[in-house]
Amino acid sequence: MRDLPTLFWRIFGTIVAIFMLSPLVVLVLFCFSERSLVTFPITGLTFEWFVKLFDRPAFWDAFQNSLIVTGSVGLVSTVFGTMAAMTIARLRSRFSGPLMLFITLPIMLPPLVLGVALLTYFSTVGIRLGLFSVILAHIVFTQPFVILIVLARMTGFDYNVVNSARDLGASHARAFVTVTLPIIRPTIIGAAMVAMALSVDDFVVTFFTIGGGNTLPTFLWGMLRMGVNPTINIVAAIIMALTITASIVAFRATRYRG
Amino acid sequence: MTTRRPARAALALPSLAVYLLIFVAPLLYFFVISFWRVRTFRLTPDSSLANYAKTINDHSVSLVFTFEVATVIALLVTCIAFGFAYVVRFKAGRYGTLLLFVALIALFGGYLTKIYVWKTILGQSGIINSALITLGIIEEPIKVLLYNPVAVIIALSHYTLPLAILPIYGALRSVEDMPLHAARDLGASRFRVIRDIVLPQCLVGILVAFSLTLIFAAGDFVTPLLIGGPHTAMIGKLIQLQFGFHGNAAMGSAMAFTVIGVCILIILVFAVVLRLAFRIR
Repeated sequence: MRDLPTLFWRIFGTIVAIFMLSPLVVLVLFCFSERSLVTFPITGLTFEWFVKLFDRPAFWDAFQNSLIVTGSVGLVSTVFGTMAAMTIARLRSRFSGPLMLFITLPIMLPPLVLGVALLTYFSTVGIRLGLFSVILAHIVFTQPFVILIVLARMTGFDYNVVNSARDLGASHARAFVTVTLPIIRPTIIGAAMVAMALSVDDFVVTFFTIGGGNTLPTFLWGMLRMGVNPTINIVAAIIMALTITASIVAFRATRYRG
Repeated sequence: MTTRRPARAALALPSLAVYLLIFVAPLLYFFVISFWRVRTFRLTPDSSLANYAKTINDHSVSLVFTFEVATVIALLVTCIAFGFAYVVRFKAGRYGTLLLFVALIALFGGYLTKIYVWKTILGQSGIINSALITLGIIEEPIKVLLYNPVAVIIALSHYTLPLAILPIYGALRSVEDMPLHAARDLGASRFRVIRDIVLPQCLVGILVAFSLTLIFAAGDFVTPLLIGGPHTAMIGKLIQLQFGFHGNAAMGSAMAFTVIGVCILIILVFAVVLRLAFRIR
């Protein structure tokens, strides 16, 4: 097993893993660097930049907006997506090919196209740009993930347990709440986390549909356009921490293995 | 089944409403206006191909450049992603679980964050330059690291790599070990085992990885704007401008659908090449 080609493959894998991960580690490191430029060597560590950032009301506005958007999107997307998955799971498989394509279409589209298409549509239909329009837009591209994740769990689901509950007189709703839901709860939590991670991180679609105001990513964009400033690192790291935490919870809950 | 069908179908209604009202309708409308015109800052119905003609006439340089960059990224990322997924599945044992975990973490972590990080790594006073100066290897910072197409290729490859690994790894999971060992025992080279047994079984995964990467790279405007510099005129930057104050939404729509059309064309060509290379011989 431990021959030369295997060793070569492992070294290749390790290099790729380092390439994927090291930029993120570097970012976290420089949040604490006392110098105002992102340069080596790091001469000392400080929390000064955190204090500077947390003093800005604009940061807290963006933070609050992000919480509102992500919370609403997570809730609506998860409920709608799960409901749809329950129906689709019982459809005959001959529809499933084209249906899958239709479901994944919003994810396959470049975010730029989705963003500008929604911007044009919202202005024509007369939906005012703001947090509400951002929430609508985010539901479009987070819902497919919820449907796909819950659907994956429902293939191979033992419907006999639900049918037993129904035979014993439980209503549909009651059978769902007392039987199906406890069984698939981890999957639903996982799906909600993925939806929220995608929502909190989205910049492109938000940028076009928010009008005024900021979420964390558009706030970060504003800072980037203004020039170099160490607090940028911290905002970037906060977004990173939020998405990674959500995704780790998701992988744990769904026991994702690739 | 003891189920009343209408009741069950009703469960999918909210989701369907979202698809139809906030996805299908906007996209159809957006497609229709690509044939319209903008007169005195207002969209007016028309049925002309003028916007498409103008896209191809005025922006051919930028279109060609965009698809060169995007195709390079898609090919590069698909190859690296296959190698990585192959290691995780066949060559790394328990270590593979750790590698896969790294890929999953890297999948998230922020879009803007990742692109911005490359600016701090490659910049004039950035990490690479300051490290090299501190070590005494160079005296003046290297300026050419940032604001060029190569920087865009690095940053976008970094962003799309985890995205490309997952579908390929998913396809590799269902490839069985036994036939591979059998082929080796019967004298097939390592290369032939990969080419004749592994690759043909994960063509769909590879195609999905390639498509995702290509579409994302071709449609991105943030990376060229942040780290591409003034000479990296990718089409996404120009599309985005059409939706500002001096914009022309009809024009922007035609440009966007041109990009999507070319993407589909490249993906079809890639799919045909894959089939010819690995199925029929």
